[in-house]
Amino acid sequence: KRSSDEHTAREREMNQYGGQQSSDGRHDDDAALTEFLASLMDYTPTIPDELVEHYLGKSGFQCPDVRLIRLVAVATQKFISEVATEALHHCKARQSSVVKDKRDKQQKDKRL
Amino acid sequence: MSDGGKENGKDSEPKTRKPAGGEDFVRAIAKIAVAQICENEGFQSFQQSALEALADVAVRYIKEIGKTANLYANLAGRSECNVLDVIQGLEDLGSIQGFPGASDIHHSLASSGVVREIRQHVSLAEEVPFAYSLPRFPVSKEPKLPPSFLTAGEEPLGEHIPVWLPAFPHPETKSTVPTCNGGVIAGDAARLQEQIKVQERGESSVMCMQQRLAANNGSEAVFGPGDSSKGKRTVDINPFLAPPLLYGEREVSSIVPPPRFIGGAGVANHVTGNMMEGFALASPIEDSQNMLSEVDERNKSMKLDGRPIVRFKLSSARKSLPAFKNVIAENEGDEELACSFGTRDDEKDEMKRRAEQILKESMENPSDPAQL
Repeated sequence: KRSSDEHTAREREMNQYGGQQSSDGRHDDDAALTEFLASLMDYTPTIPDELVEHYLGKSGFQCPDVRLIRLVAVATQKFISEVATEALHHCKARQSSVVKDKRDKQQKDKRL
Repeated sequence: MSDGGKENGKDSEPKTRKPAGGEDFVRAIAKIAVAQICENEGFQSFQQSALEALADVAVRYIKEIGKTANLYANLAGRSECNVLDVIQGLEDLGSIQGFPGASDIHHSLASSGVVREIRQHVSLAEEVPFAYSLPRFPVSKEPKLPPSFLTAGEEPLGEHIPVWLPAFPHPETKSTVPTCNGGVIAGDAARLQEQIKVQERGESSVMCMQQRLAANNGSEAVFGPGDSSKGKRTVDINPFLAPPLLYGEREVSSIVPPPRFIGGAGVANHVTGNMMEGFALASPIEDSQNMLSEVDERNKSMKLDGRPIVRFKLSSARKSLPAFKNVIAENEGDEELACSFGTRDDEKDEMKRRAEQILKESMENPSDPAQL
């Protein structure tokens, strides 16, 4: 069923965008996507599936496929980790800039 | 040098919004998951408000993906979401920040840059599973259905009662006196089931008032709201289930239209003492202080059957003064008042005489308004 849906979606895109892609490329993309989704089942995202299912259900997302749940979980994890990484960079930059401004050689308190 | 310090200042004040009752568990899980991700990044501590804010952001992100994917699915005429719907939703959300290939309008969704980025992230990041194992939630309780006639093996009492309806409670239930949720007229199936279990176990439990009605005993004691754990057994007479009074059993006054001479003062059956003071203030002769002291001495005008209607005093220009003996009884309680006239017969006669006197005077002076 999923492949048929993809097929219709592909056709829809073809009609919209003029079908510039070759059929081979399309199949490769689909194959890559399928393979990726399969590999998701091996990977356990930090965000549990039940949590994602609960909140997706709240917004009306209806899908019995676990791979999509994993995809959403991984996407959210990526988003949060990006935010956390940026925050860490900001934190470190703020610490280092304070030391530079005050030109203080003493060990500053690392707490913010 | 510590890697992280305290993470703060990102979104220091989360909105003061009370989440729904069942949300606490889910939000706690979201907080744990977010904290685990951040710990993986290198943070060492977390301020509570910052953690709540970031968990809220993650929850909103999930909800937004779901909403957008559902939107695209509905747009395509489907009710169930597709992987391509999800990818399109991710593209929409990522379009603000940008992803590789966002400007390419003719790309297929399967080879979207979003998916590529996610794939990179999966391959690079460590796998950190969630710390706890979770059950599927929300856990829904199975409703306990009461046994029907068929399952209980009972015969319904009449042909008009189908066998698939819940069985009637046993008549032994009315002998035990469990507590009941007062005021619950609509039968609750769970309570009926519980009540049947009570009979088997012999313990006290919550029982519905409908049991009483089904027991078809109007004078049966019905209980006020009680705590099932305490197992109270107070017995109160439910006035709605008490047997109807026969005629003449209790004195009930007949309604008499207010006499015309009393005028616009109105008829008040249950005027309290304060109102009488209010009436008295209009009178130039008596003051409110004397009024209460004179309550004992005076008689009121009343109807022939003894139940007083008029509560205010007549002025001293009149020869007879209203009686106030029953005012005290009135203030003490309506029931007492109603009972009092049944017992004090001699006062009744005196009141009757006074009432007749007043009526005579009213006939003589029809245009004389009551001076209060």
